[in-house]
Amino acid sequence: MSKLVVPRRVLLLGAAAATVAPAVSLAATPDLGKPAPQFTAVDSNGKTWSLADLKGKVVVIETTNHQCPYVRKHYVADKMQAQQREAAAKGVVWLTSASSATGEEGYVTAAQANEIVKKYNAAPAAVLLDPQSKIARAYGATVTPHMYIIDANGILVYKGGIDSIRSSDANDVPKAKQYVRLALDEVLAGKPVTEASTRPYGCSLKYPRGQS
Amino acid sequence: MKRLLALLLALLAGPAFAQSTVQTENVRAELLADVSAVKPGEPFWVGLRQTIRPKWHTYWKNPGDSGLPTEIAWTLPAGVTAGPIVWPRPYLFNLSGVINYGFKDEAMLLVRITPPADLPGALKLEAAANWLVCEDVCIPEEAKLDLSLPVTATGAPAAPATRAVFEKARQQVPMPSPWPARYGVAQSGDPTLIVEAKGLKPETIRDVYFFPADWGPVASMAKQAAAIGADGIRIPLRRGDAKAALPADLAGTLVLTEKTAAGEVKQAFDIVAKRDPAFVPTSTVAASGSEQLSLLEALLFALLGGLILNLMPCVFPVLAMKAASFAGLAGHERSAMRRDGLAYTAGVLVSFAAMAGVVIGLRAAAGDVSWGFQFQSPVFSLLIAYLFFVVGLNLSGVFEVSGRFAGVGQGLAARGGTTGAFFTGVLAVIVATPCTAPFMAAALGFALSQPAPQTLAVLLALGLGLALPYLALTFTPALQRLMPRPGAWMDRLRQFLAFPMYASAVWMIWVLVQQAGADGVIYALGGMILIGFAIWLLRLGSGAAWGTWLRRGLAAAAVLLAFAAALKLEDGRATAASASGASNGVSFEGWERFSRERLDRAIAEGKPVFVDFTAAWCITCLVNERVALETPTARRAFEQAGVLKLKGDWTNRDPEITSLLKELGRAGVPLYLFWAPGMERPKILPQVLTEALVISELAEIQPAKR
Repeated sequence: MSKLVVPRRVLLLGAAAATVAPAVSLAATPDLGKPAPQFTAVDSNGKTWSLADLKGKVVVIETTNHQCPYVRKHYVADKMQAQQREAAAKGVVWLTSASSATGEEGYVTAAQANEIVKKYNAAPAAVLLDPQSKIARAYGATVTPHMYIIDANGILVYKGGIDSIRSSDANDVPKAKQYVRLALDEVLAGKPVTEASTRPYGCSLKYPRGQS
Repeated sequence: MKRLLALLLALLAGPAFAQSTVQTENVRAELLADVSAVKPGEPFWVGLRQTIRPKWHTYWKNPGDSGLPTEIAWTLPAGVTAGPIVWPRPYLFNLSGVINYGFKDEAMLLVRITPPADLPGALKLEAAANWLVCEDVCIPEEAKLDLSLPVTATGAPAAPATRAVFEKARQQVPMPSPWPARYGVAQSGDPTLIVEAKGLKPETIRDVYFFPADWGPVASMAKQAAAIGADGIRIPLRRGDAKAALPADLAGTLVLTEKTAAGEVKQAFDIVAKRDPAFVPTSTVAASGSEQLSLLEALLFALLGGLILNLMPCVFPVLAMKAASFAGLAGHERSAMRRDGLAYTAGVLVSFAAMAGVVIGLRAAAGDVSWGFQFQSPVFSLLIAYLFFVVGLNLSGVFEVSGRFAGVGQGLAARGGTTGAFFTGVLAVIVATPCTAPFMAAALGFALSQPAPQTLAVLLALGLGLALPYLALTFTPALQRLMPRPGAWMDRLRQFLAFPMYASAVWMIWVLVQQAGADGVIYALGGMILIGFAIWLLRLGSGAAWGTWLRRGLAAAAVLLAFAAALKLEDGRATAASASGASNGVSFEGWERFSRERLDRAIAEGKPVFVDFTAAWCITCLVNERVALETPTARRAFEQAGVLKLKGDWTNRDPEITSLLKELGRAGVPLYLFWAPGMERPKILPQVLTEALVISELAEIQPAKR
């Protein structure tokens, strides 16, 4: 307390009786090493998924928007699908979350989601329908694709980008450092993740309008 | 013939592959140079000018939460080098909570090109640019651009229209910060940035935002609650997602809008803040928001804040004492109780009114006061630490205050009665002031920006909140019945309450150390020993008259010595203050001081005169001086034109300057006046100056001189 001058907001907080709700803050991403935020969502086949039910398994969350050039980059190059298959083979639960808000770019119905999976021959454990961007908000996702890894104990161990070259050029994928794959290997080997928080890149996540 | 054909083909094919302008779906990209002919060995500037579809945006070097910065890959002849992109100041875009940093409408990305000393006939620059352009959706786009420039021995500037584009672009580029900056990290890990721009006027500056240069150390925030105070611009930030420790240097661009007499000016500064391990901010950014409180809200929060003050460890003992003494009143007439409650309330309110008076008075005298002025004084901290200590000793029963010490509040408070109640109120405010500074600062931050009646109202609301619980007790028999009966517990409670008091004293010493350095501990604890010694001397009991007087004399000496420590602290502080003050004033180097008489004389002599009205708190003035008036080229131009340069310092609203401003219909600074020789009326220059503008003004009079 070197200056004892505190912003006005502290007064608001101090006066706990105040009914002023603090503005929703997106970028408050959950901390690494802490329990990952819980969620429950229905997938494109009508099945309900709850993070709590997945304890004991390593979980990957991938935010998606099929119209985003950065998402397309990884699907056109067949790289996202390859990682999904690799993960499934190792017993990892890969959840693709279609978090674009209703009516926004990348919003999909269940049927559309399945069509996209088929078109790209994708292999996630499920495509979660998140039309109110609830999962994205809980995880502070800002882009598509924004990637998260949760270990078998439900602890968030990775958040960030899919790889290291921030471009929309599919030719860059083989040259890039594959952050998610490397992190996943370390998690499965029971090692701490070396690069646990990387810079995410991509299109802005399409949250419901008028909320910030 | 073959050659002609090749040329024709080249002419036809050239534009199809690369050209100096490319229109994509959402952006028109153009490659421009500020020269029309290149001089070998002399660097020049090119710009990638993006004209962006309305409502769409491209990205800054740090794009924020999403997006990608524009990239340029150059293909250049051997020996030619291109520098990094010099970015204009960014804008903030909030896409439903996803924060982006970038550009709208038009952005000019400047690149410095250095040609070698030996250069053949023409220079061809080829740029492969790619960018991401977004509205709600994002589209990666690219353009291949090229620009061919002839090479001549002397070189040649670009056409005036192009030069104007560059001039405008340079104005958008942040200038290096004229102020040092540092940052500290709170316990929570959130950094707070301090830009030491001292003496600014908070009411003239808004939309302060720090754009971090890189992803990682600092989060991209929708809003930053910047505060402008005595120590400069203070911006609480939120930690970013990078796992690495915060860097030694935190880089970014500070953008702010200054309200001047002639309108609003946006300014941008490149900042590199050094990590300051000694600075540990306590305020967290939590839910940030710099919204203004309305008066009603301010009164409400002041009242609530006042109520909460009752629970503070340094106030609670006083209040509990009061409550205990109230138990002693049990059985008295109800009217006596009410009188007691009212007297206490009056004591509190009178103290707050007195404080409001001081604040309003200071504001009237100094024109500007930032709350916390007394908390920034180590002397104040020391005296309050002593007060906590002494009150603590009294509660512990080390000494009883006799009537002789009347006025020290606690003594009167212990006596009971209406006067006692009144002074308990005063004491409550005195002890509440330091330990509740955060609350006071918040309410007063508002109060100070308001006219006197509102200032008083907010302070009184705070006081009323403080007094309310006791007032309610004295007026409500139902509450009174809840009070325990008086008895031995009262003494035990009183002794117990000494401990929060001692804790408060320790806390105050910690504050003192933050202000005055480690030496503060010696002065404060030494002073406390002296005070303890003085009390022991006075309590030795009665003896011979000369003995009593000796003890009193020694006690007085000890107390004086304790207070001398305060003077010692003030000393060090004063030196520091004057040293920092010197660096903040208006510099007159190369200028004469403005006076009406000097001005009139020069005009009468037919001399060209340039007048710069400035003030230490005016950021736009400072920027103009740096970029337009004090550059080596501008100085030379002034000298060559034989211009008399007068500078008027309006920091303290010099009346002579004020009267001239009024004549010209101006309310404040910056104001730049130029009298060409023989002119009666000055030309008023725009409030945002560029070097080119100043030089062209001066060039106009040069032919007349020659």
